[in-house]
Amino acid sequence: MLMLALESSAKAASAALFEDEKMLALSIQTSGLTHSRTLLPMAEDILRNTDKKPEDLGLVAVSRGPGSFTGLRIGLAEAKGLCWALQIPAVGVSTLEAMAYGGPVLDGQMLCCCMDARRGQVYNALFTVEDGKPVRLTEDRAISLPELEKELIASQEPWILLGDGAQLCYNNLDREKVALFMAPEPLRVQNARGVGLAAMDREPVSANDLLPAYLRLSQAERQRLETLEGK
Amino acid sequence: MLILSVESSCDETAVALVADGRKILADEIFSQVALHEIYGGVVPEIAARSHLEVITYLADRALDKAGMSRRDIDAVACTYAPGLIGAVLVGVNFAKSAALALGVPLVPVHHIRGHIAANYLAFPDLTPPFLCLAISGGNTMLVDVRDYTDMAVLGRTRDDAAGECFDKSARVLGLGYPGGKPIDDLSKQGNDRAYDLPRPAVHGGDPYDMSFSGLKTAVVNIVHHAEQTGEPLDKAGLAASLCRAVSESLVGRTMDAANALGYDRIAVAGGVAANSRIRADFEAACAKAGKRLFVPPLRLCGDNAAMIGAQGYYELLAGHTAGSDLNAYATKAL
Repeated sequence: MLMLALESSAKAASAALFEDEKMLALSIQTSGLTHSRTLLPMAEDILRNTDKKPEDLGLVAVSRGPGSFTGLRIGLAEAKGLCWALQIPAVGVSTLEAMAYGGPVLDGQMLCCCMDARRGQVYNALFTVEDGKPVRLTEDRAISLPELEKELIASQEPWILLGDGAQLCYNNLDREKVALFMAPEPLRVQNARGVGLAAMDREPVSANDLLPAYLRLSQAERQRLETLEGK
Repeated sequence: MLILSVESSCDETAVALVADGRKILADEIFSQVALHEIYGGVVPEIAARSHLEVITYLADRALDKAGMSRRDIDAVACTYAPGLIGAVLVGVNFAKSAALALGVPLVPVHHIRGHIAANYLAFPDLTPPFLCLAISGGNTMLVDVRDYTDMAVLGRTRDDAAGECFDKSARVLGLGYPGGKPIDDLSKQGNDRAYDLPRPAVHGGDPYDMSFSGLKTAVVNIVHHAEQTGEPLDKAGLAASLCRAVSESLVGRTMDAANALGYDRIAVAGGVAANSRIRADFEAACAKAGKRLFVPPLRLCGDNAAMIGAQGYYELLAGHTAGSDLNAYATKAL
């Protein structure tokens, strides 16, 4: 079965095409142009270059979050459009899980996936690796750096840092108390290859049920709740 | 020619199926008003989130209602500008991937052109050229519609849109959001000469330019003054005076432009066209001047996708299609 994977949760945008377990093509762009301009043309190009047509697709995988709200919606709206038109299912993949699947998956490694969530927090999930696949140790969450530091120290394990928050963690967490290593640069940030690999272990849903996981309310909702709590 | 059309520029998510630019086969709308009400206005991030959640349901329902299948779709049209950027992006990216997957042309449509085209759905015999006043919550412009895709803006608001003036006035009057309908309802019980509100003159630029921020400020000041001094506030009278002031600003300029350009047909488009005072004043002015007036039914005045399908048909005939790199824009010239 032919699967298209889309990733647009952060600065880079990428599209990958898989035939069953095999990746046929991967396209990544970090030009700084909006994903709305670049993501679908990348998908169209890799289909054309591999001599496939949109109607050959059987599944679309896409990052569902966390990440840039607008970036996520561009990928999800495109996935929904493709799935709705082709009447095929979709898999929404955690961005942090996609990062782990695309990372250095050596058995026994401990993977700490981090995205800079601003406001003193990172979006984070922890994984270990068994039989060449990431195994989840925590849910996706928004967590403060001190809280994350406490958890990593308590684990008494060395951790590999992934994601655009890796440097932030490396610079700010106490490396005398926990051993931290930056993942090698090509394996550090999420891309559509990781999205596709992660999707293979997940149940597909309909285009209607493909939903984002922002992990954070809109600013207006947060401020309203803060005001209500203040009263 | 069957067009699937998508609209998501503000707080309505809509998907429609329109045949040959004139016949509505399905026109599905999900209004987000309830989501934004507690904030007193549209919250862009909440709007964008909601669009994404409902868009495929609406597309399914549109096909069901029309009794059509995906294979019947000849093109996909979408609003690509102007609007809340996060909101427009959802519709654009859904539409362009659907067009790619269906192997049909993608047609970007300017939202205001869509409002103007709502008249083609309501009035089968209306064809360009004509003069159109497009008035909504975000836009106010007077347009010379020379042909279906050849238009010139004769004048526009320099500041607030007419709808914005109603929304903000409604807010200070405690009438909630959106403000157009409650102001309209309240105005019917009031004296339209209760308050002397300004009719801002606009100097320089296009001769038919308008301004509504001074009017809005005048309403806000009257309400605040009454609150501070404890003087009674005639809310119905203020609403009626406001409707009269907005209507006179719009109707006068539109009639002047129609006379100057020699148009005997005038169309009104956009959500503010639902205002009963503006409708009545246009009817009276057109009857007096011997001109024919076109105002779409209420459902087609507000944001909807059928109007995007109508304009999309004519844009497609003119060869105005886009590729999968189509982007969305918060602002864009008509």
